[in-house]
Amino acid sequence: MNRVKIMDAASLYKSLGEPDRADHLWRYTPWKRVHPSGDLGEIPNAVAPKLTLSCLDEDVALLGISIEEGIVGAEVLPESDEVTSSFIRAAAGDSVYTLRVENNFVASAPIVLDIDTGDSPCALHLALDVGRHCEFELITQVSGAAPWTGFLRSGRIGDGSILNDVVIGHTDSGTLLRVDSIAIGRDAQVRVGTVSSGSDRTKADLRYKMGETGGHLNVLGSILSADKMHLDHHVEIHHDAPETFSRLDWHSACGGNSRTVGTGMLRVAKGARGADAGQLFHNLLLSEKAEADSIPELEVSEHDVVGCGHGTANGPVDEDQMFYLESRGFDTEEARDALIAAFLNSTLVEMGSDTLHHWLAEHLQDELADLSS
Amino acid sequence: MAAKEARDAVGEYKAGWHDPENATIRFDFGLSEQVVRDISALKNEPEWMTDIRVKAFHHFESRPMPTWGNMSMLEDIDFDKVCYYLRSSDATEKDWEDVPEDIRNTFDKLGIPEAEQKWLSGVTAQYESEAVYHSIREDLEQQGVIFLDMDSGLREYPEIVKEWFCSVVPYQDNKFSALNTAVWSGGSFIYVPKGVHVEMPVQAYFRINAKNMGQFERTLIIADEGSSIHYVEGCTAPTYSTDSLHSAVVELIALPGAHIRYSTVQNWSANVYNLVTKRGIAHENAKIEWVDGNIGSKLTMKYPAVILKGEGSHAEVISVAYSGKGQHQDAGAKIHHLASNTTSKILSKSISKDGGRGSYRGLVSVSPKAENCKLNVVCDALILDDGSRSDTYPTMEVANPSARCEHEASVSKVSDEQLFYLMSRGHSEEEALALIVNGFFEPFTRELPMEYAVELNKLMALEMEGSIG
Repeated sequence: MNRVKIMDAASLYKSLGEPDRADHLWRYTPWKRVHPSGDLGEIPNAVAPKLTLSCLDEDVALLGISIEEGIVGAEVLPESDEVTSSFIRAAAGDSVYTLRVENNFVASAPIVLDIDTGDSPCALHLALDVGRHCEFELITQVSGAAPWTGFLRSGRIGDGSILNDVVIGHTDSGTLLRVDSIAIGRDAQVRVGTVSSGSDRTKADLRYKMGETGGHLNVLGSILSADKMHLDHHVEIHHDAPETFSRLDWHSACGGNSRTVGTGMLRVAKGARGADAGQLFHNLLLSEKAEADSIPELEVSEHDVVGCGHGTANGPVDEDQMFYLESRGFDTEEARDALIAAFLNSTLVEMGSDTLHHWLAEHLQDELADLSS
Repeated sequence: MAAKEARDAVGEYKAGWHDPENATIRFDFGLSEQVVRDISALKNEPEWMTDIRVKAFHHFESRPMPTWGNMSMLEDIDFDKVCYYLRSSDATEKDWEDVPEDIRNTFDKLGIPEAEQKWLSGVTAQYESEAVYHSIREDLEQQGVIFLDMDSGLREYPEIVKEWFCSVVPYQDNKFSALNTAVWSGGSFIYVPKGVHVEMPVQAYFRINAKNMGQFERTLIIADEGSSIHYVEGCTAPTYSTDSLHSAVVELIALPGAHIRYSTVQNWSANVYNLVTKRGIAHENAKIEWVDGNIGSKLTMKYPAVILKGEGSHAEVISVAYSGKGQHQDAGAKIHHLASNTTSKILSKSISKDGGRGSYRGLVSVSPKAENCKLNVVCDALILDDGSRSDTYPTMEVANPSARCEHEASVSKVSDEQLFYLMSRGHSEEEALALIVNGFFEPFTRELPMEYAVELNKLMALEMEGSIG
């Protein structure tokens, strides 16, 4: 079964041409730059990462949530980019797993899924099969020293479930190619957080489909780029059903010679009455050679909407805020660090519970120190 | 009542007539190097202009169609079924009475003489491919202002034209700027000397009157140091069953301390492809403003641009777009901050109705060496009914940390509260909607000369007719 799918994915990838740079998805980070070898016809024999599922509270038993080999259902959304999804599926081979969450599963502490990439090119297709009326928080941490990592998540969040879902890109270096292709169930409330602090190069294509009434989605990003990092995130939210709600809030702090790219697409289909959609990109530029690009796009084909909007703002660390802190005893460096931390924290704090937030903040201390230096 | 008054005042779509095609010279359909050379020879142009035309033609041939915008509509353009040159009057006229009668009737219906008397300091009217009427107030001539149609400008001031032609929009810029450079005819040529302020707006009307007629006017405006000018351009076209192509290029040069405002109200009929490249360069402390209204056409792809090359320069783009049945207005703005302490502002408003599609497509960039730049982009869209669509595609590229950049956009419907408020004060629902739409466009209309603003409000009231129930 898997072999058939592998063949299908590889054949599909090879049948596709090189993506057009006129497409915003590929405008700033062409496919050649995130392909493992740059030889676009080549599909690497990637190894499977090591997966570990645990809970932040060791006393909580993991009943009703499990990682299983193989995938049943959880197809990639047709709205997703075919090049990236087929490539990762082809490279992943047998490295396909399902995170199965039973109906009505509730966890009082965040669940942690560690993905250790090892030190060879690595690929993973993970299907999310979250049942109905679940309520939990999930931290997915991608770490390791692989020169190239492909990570595809497909699946569906069940009706009425409440999920805080945070993915941390924490690899030592190399390239991270990440794809989300996830459907939001009826009346589900989902927060998807992205914390990107590792890898030399990240290309993320995150797409969420709200195809059932009453879906509620918050997409949040805290992006730290330093040195010569190149972090490119594309977030696409499809409002296909009535009374759906989404917000995107993306904060990037950009230092050194690095570059961050944030492209967003809010697509409201005809018939999605009562849709309420908004997206915001904030970029903080910390050095002369850093660069930040934002393209928040809107396509609205339904007139009876609550409202659809987007905004983007770029700027340096605010001088008035610096002055305020310095007048209260901070030295210049401390004041700057505090303001950068506060800037990134404003989205981190929205990603989930206090427990989740404290855990994230602790894990990002080192990266913040690197960024400031 | 407002809508009825508007209809009474404006009549049926006032630009929806056409005169018999009494053209004196008309080329066969289709484009070739020979056609390009023939156009140039007919105008007795200098060799360097012929060379540019030919190079541009080959670039046009080799350049693929854009892969963005509305590709399906673009693919419908058959360049072999376009006439690239048509001259309807043998000479450029200065006296209105000397203009052939049927052409004059057309312009009379557009109200140009009255407009000139009341408001305008000069008129050059593009009828098909060449200017047929041109006048300029004597006091401006005495100040040294040159206001000619582009062909005359090339004949009388070849050295100025050679210096600036293609300096802002090179023919390699895009497929349609190449096409325009290859086959351009007419347009305006304006030079404002140092320190001269043209107090009244200068106006030109452009009009397509023959089916399958391409119109490729070329406008070049140079405002020398410390000068200022406001140029107003209006476009109307008769309704025809086959498609027409309008592909203009406008180049503005604002030298240090100069101020150019370029206002456009285009109301092409709904079969016209309006594919225009407009760009200006602002030197030190100069200011360029584009005020751009897109009401008609089948497909508009137009992104007025400013290159802020000199320190302290400023750019503003205010644009509105109305997209009705079968229309796609793909409009926007591009501003490049190349120098320090430059500022810019973009305000874009669009309305989609009867299945129309309005798109804002913009680019704002700040180069690494441009310190302390400030820019602000605001896009608002109204979708008035089921089946219409609004898109926003803004791009921001910021490579200097001192830049302060803001962009915001919203898409919404007309609020029930606003309608209720106006209806509770005696307006019908249709009138209330017309008032709200005019209020939505008000930041644009207040920047126009009064007669344009009045006409635009009337046109929008007409468009709102029948939109309720």
